[in-house]
Amino acid sequence: MFQYDAIDAAMVADRNAEFRDQVSRRLSGELTEDQFKPLRLMNGLYLQLHSYMLRVAIPYGALSSAKMRALAHVARRWDRGYGHFTTRQNIQFHWIKLSDTPDVLDYLATAELHAIQTSGNCIRNTTSDPFAGAAAEEVDDPRVWSEVIRQWSTFHPEFTYLPRKFKIAVTASPRDRTAARAHDIGLVLRRNREGRLGFEVIVGGGMGRTPYIGATIREHLPAEHLLSYLTAILRVYNRFGRRDNLYKARIKILVASLGAAEFARLADEAWEAMDRPRADLPDVELARIRASFGLVDFRTLPPRSERFEAAKGDKAFARFARNNIVPHKVPGYGIVQVSLKGIGEVPGDCTADQMEALADLAERYGHGEIRVTHEQNLVLPHVALDDAPAVHAGLAAVGLATPNINLVSDMIACPGLDYCALANARAIPIAQAISETFADPDRAEQVGELKIKISGCINACGHHHVGHIGILGVDKKGEEYYQLTLGGSGAEDAAIGHVLGPALSADRVADAIDKLVDVYLAIRQPQERFLDTYRRTGVGPFKAAVYQDAHQA
Amino acid sequence: MTSPLKVLTANDLAGGQVVFLSETGWSDRYADAWIFEDPAAADAALDAARAATLTLADPYLIDVAAVDGLPVPTSYRERIRALGPTIHPDMGPQAEGGALVEALQQAKGAARSSGRLGLIRRK
Ligand code: SF4
Repeated sequence: MFQYDAIDAAMVADRNAEFRDQVSRRLSGELTEDQFKPLRLMNGLYLQLHSYMLRVAIPYGALSSAKMRALAHVARRWDRGYGHFTTRQNIQFHWIKLSDTPDVLDYLATAELHAIQTSGNCIRNTTSDPFAGAAAEEVDDPRVWSEVIRQWSTFHPEFTYLPRKFKIAVTASPRDRTAARAHDIGLVLRRNREGRLGFEVIVGGGMGRTPYIGATIREHLPAEHLLSYLTAILRVYNRFGRRDNLYKARIKILVASLGAAEFARLADEAWEAMDRPRADLPDVELARIRASFGLVDFRTLPPRSERFEAAKGDKAFARFARNNIVPHKVPGYGIVQVSLKGIGEVPGDCTADQMEALADLAERYGHGEIRVTHEQNLVLPHVALDDAPAVHAGLAAVGLATPNINLVSDMIACPGLDYCALANARAIPIAQAISETFADPDRAEQVGELKIKISGCINACGHHHVGHIGILGVDKKGEEYYQLTLGGSGAEDAAIGHVLGPALSADRVADAIDKLVDVYLAIRQPQERFLDTYRRTGVGPFKAAVYQDAHQA
Repeated sequence: MTSPLKVLTANDLAGGQVVFLSETGWSDRYADAWIFEDPAAADAALDAARAATLTLADPYLIDVAAVDGLPVPTSYRERIRALGPTIHPDMGPQAEGGALVEALQQAKGAARSSGRLGLIRRK
């Protein structure tokens, strides 16, 4: 884990003291709601449908056992015993009181947690690979670069009032687990033929009402120039990005209207013009940040664990091992993925008891590390295979051993109208209905990888545009309806899904998914995922299956 | 053609919970809400609520229909807001149950008036 220093602690303490004062002035009437609202939002506190919601930052999705315990304590003491992990690798508490918030923030600070960069038109929390430091195929640790971006962007005076919020993703693996191409800037770290580290720089991706897959404007930016080049991009955006229309203010609209080539030219121009050595991070500073992550003291183990293999005699463990554990870069270790998608549960929700159990398991068996994924799951990145059966048992004891990673019931769902004031429709009950439909784990495994993503409105927090099957809630004449899209992907083969047909009423959605899956099973070729089959056949057979009844009617 | 019935709602400033204007002040229970039949009176109450910035955030009026004599918010969004999250029936005002809570839970789509409101709760 990254070790924060005294400067970080002082910054957070100052910010919390300032907000405590602002809250007390609001409660005493010195500040009006109009004056206070932007201050509240800058500290992660939103007013939602039923109450305030506090969004706590989890920089690049990395948590320690101690931080997880602190989140559990907040859930229990100031909320209703649970929290919700989001597609931004953050956590939201849905029942926080304004009058408690200063205490909550002070408490979080004792565990080096805060709500900075979780709201407002600034550079938000950087998304990164939840397998960082554990994935065999990564070329460098993406957390180091994410931390560089965090330090550079936090309270950056030039980029605090951008035209709109700004999200960056960093991955260092060919398998993209960050949805890099759906971010304002996606950074894919690679080594070139000479072995030098450099970033593919992707700009202008995004979801919302006009989704775009980002365009590559640099194939290989030398890694040491990351900050100067990011500065150049942000300068172009800050200068030319639209501020007159909320829906046209994201960088994707600017990149689309200028064209990627012209945007790249402007960025290069800004880059040439600046004092680059001043903007870039000195090597010593990079080395300091790298060293602050410390080393995990992996043991030397045989690649094959007899205990692990023997435990597969138990069907439940074997299934868990198949679906939730993937190889680690160190022999004898595995990456354990913890699904927050129990059948019929709320995607991304985690109770205080579960958080504490995870903290204990991570401490005992996982070098104290826990990661949050943008798919609303958790990861224990460093578990010795010998310990995997014990970890599985520990997870099962708190209802966290659902063996469905990347399967049909491993859905993303935003909070939707059950919590969110902006929603058009509920998302969670739809997810619950679909997961009940596919409760049979054998069938789910037979279907294989299938990513369903659900948003309660066009803001697309549930990433529906990039779901293999996307589901978007709409309000149709005062009723909740759902628009299905097919063929999206947020991974390295990123694509925006296509609308299947007229929106469906809530009670028809799970059945429609069932029909889509049946079509896929009937026509798939060997090795084809749902997405591959769709790409081969196009929408025809799928559309026919879902709307055939409608035609008969 | 009568104008729609109105209820005045807001969030409690310090706690954040949904509140409704009742005959005796602001209440956490939708069941206590004061039903306005006179649009001018509703607007006046909204203005007063906007001035009460010390205890309230974001006051606004919602439309209500008389369904089987019970006041049901016209939009499903407002019904969910008055009840609490539908995925947690134990949370929010819905937890206390009763005829009115059930009427809200059972309403579908855009609720329409089906006659007059029950007598007691009119203003
Ligand atoms: S997608 Fe819409 S409904 Fe869902 S969390 Fe985002 S703003 Fe709310």
